[in-house]
Amino acid sequence: MTTPDITAPAARAKDRGRGTRGRIGIGIAVAALLVFTLFPVYWMVSTALDPKAVTRGSDLLPSGLSLQHFSTVFDKGNFGTYLLNSVIVGFGTILAAAVLSLFAAIAVARFKFRFRTSVLIMVLIVQMVPLEALVIPLFLQMRDYELLNSLLGLTVVYIALSLPFAIWTLRGFVQTVPKEVEEAAYIDGASWPRMFWSVLLPLVAPGLVATSIFAFITAWNEFVFAYTFMKGSDKYTAAVGIYQFFGENSTSWGPVMASSTLITVPVMIFFIVVHRRLGSGLAAGAVKG
Amino acid sequence: MKETLVDGGSEASESRVHRPPDAPVPSPENQAALRRKRLVGLTRPWLLLAPALIVLAGLLLWPLIQVGKLSMEDYEVKFGGGVGTFTGLDHYTDLLSSSLLWKTVLPNTLFFAVACVGLTVALGTAVALLLQRLGPVWRLICSISILSAWAMPAVTGTYVWIWLFQPQDGMFSQLAGALGMIDPATTNWFTERIPFYAIATLNVVHHGFPFVAITVFAGLLTIPKELYEAGMLDGANAWQRFWKITVPTIKPVFLVVTILSTIWDFKVFTQIFLMPGGSGSNPDVYNLGVYSYIQAFAKNDYGTGAASAVLLTLLLLAITVVYIRTLFKQGEEDL
Repeated sequence: MTTPDITAPAARAKDRGRGTRGRIGIGIAVAALLVFTLFPVYWMVSTALDPKAVTRGSDLLPSGLSLQHFSTVFDKGNFGTYLLNSVIVGFGTILAAAVLSLFAAIAVARFKFRFRTSVLIMVLIVQMVPLEALVIPLFLQMRDYELLNSLLGLTVVYIALSLPFAIWTLRGFVQTVPKEVEEAAYIDGASWPRMFWSVLLPLVAPGLVATSIFAFITAWNEFVFAYTFMKGSDKYTAAVGIYQFFGENSTSWGPVMASSTLITVPVMIFFIVVHRRLGSGLAAGAVKG
Repeated sequence: MKETLVDGGSEASESRVHRPPDAPVPSPENQAALRRKRLVGLTRPWLLLAPALIVLAGLLLWPLIQVGKLSMEDYEVKFGGGVGTFTGLDHYTDLLSSSLLWKTVLPNTLFFAVACVGLTVALGTAVALLLQRLGPVWRLICSISILSAWAMPAVTGTYVWIWLFQPQDGMFSQLAGALGMIDPATTNWFTERIPFYAIATLNVVHHGFPFVAITVFAGLLTIPKELYEAGMLDGANAWQRFWKITVPTIKPVFLVVTILSTIWDFKVFTQIFLMPGGSGSNPDVYNLGVYSYIQAFAKNDYGTGAASAVLLTLLLLAITVVYIRTLFKQGEEDL
């Protein structure tokens, strides 16, 4: 009878010991996670601000703070033009991809028709195609149409690249709008276009924003096509524009990190803004298929 | 979907064949309206789909056919358009009999993908389990830090890792030099295959694990707490609970993230191409994508480039088929 009285405190102490040890373990894990995820970002930004970037070695703090690398990038590197090109291509991609993917998503989410499943699977499959397989024929084709070195040619490619993911994501958002809402609009005498404009569109707008941001990021980050298609330096996008700071034998890491910062920061802001929707949307897509 | 088709069909045939004579005959206007409604129902989805499908067909499907055709040709660039001469499967036999493919390109592609997928999924799962144990504030902080790793574009992320490992001046070179492990003046981590790919793996895992972490975390939230309580009552420790409860319950989530990571890691291009020596000057570090690109654009051998691109596509297609079957097994009614 006395055994439980003896063991219980011991067990509780053991539990408590494990609790503290567990908490320390979690603390270490969180610290490791934060260092692993954030250190590259920190190193990029601090090198960009360090006036003696190349010789900083392993000093954790930059030797000083200055914006000189940023001004080099804009004055000598012509980076303003590249950023502008990226923005133009990005917005062109958003506009077209949002409209096309919204229509397609409504079709596959709201209508039952023959080959619907086949269309969905085809969209899924083309998403897996490696860019290296596309860049060769598209390069030759664009050269024949004289669309190389043109922002329009690049935009058209990016629209196609961002469509499959946009259709799949938006389909999830359209599905979450209850059918009854649409039916109520019909009962009130609305035609399909009217229902689309006044009911469906406002309800999927958040999804449309998230999808558009993704299309923008696709275009903003893309390297292979921009590198292959754009041969005149005034047509570079930002992702390709960095390349010029690489010298034959030495690289000016200050300007490279400054332009990297300029490219990365907008994407990070976008990601953090949409992260809630992104998480749920992606999870729904991955879990439910 | 099948049911509705069958229903629609039988309804239509019934109305045509056995209409009882005393049934009210629909007025012609009514019939016309009905027919129009059915026509709209049939055409509207296709009208909505058409623009997207045209873009996808023209810019993704057609180039794929072209690359297949190109892989069986010797393509020569001429003024005002190129000319291809049909060569059959020559490029494939050349490619498949080259020792570069078997000794360098394929092993690089394969081992790199396996290492990246394994590490990405393991780290992502560990982080998801960690997130589950945290309070709301730390969970938010960790989520944002994970997102920042995810948001890092491949191009700039690669530059940061190059800079960290840069011979002589890079942080890790200096650190290792200070610890006496290497001589920073003479060590170049980018010239040898193994360290080169180790750095590339670090880069890809850093960029790829957030997707796994966030997806698995969402999956973890769907597991009923009672399962774990029952497990604890039965005396299962954390390790056993993970393997006996967590993994089987959200197996589909693990399958999906593993297959998607596999697809992505097989076609890594930018992260290799941008690294020193990755854009052609060091054949030891070719992977399939980079090899294809360099054959086509640096050596103007579009045929061989196309053939290796087709090889990569077929490889990915095989994995994609597995992926789609997994998705279908999870919930056919959802598609």
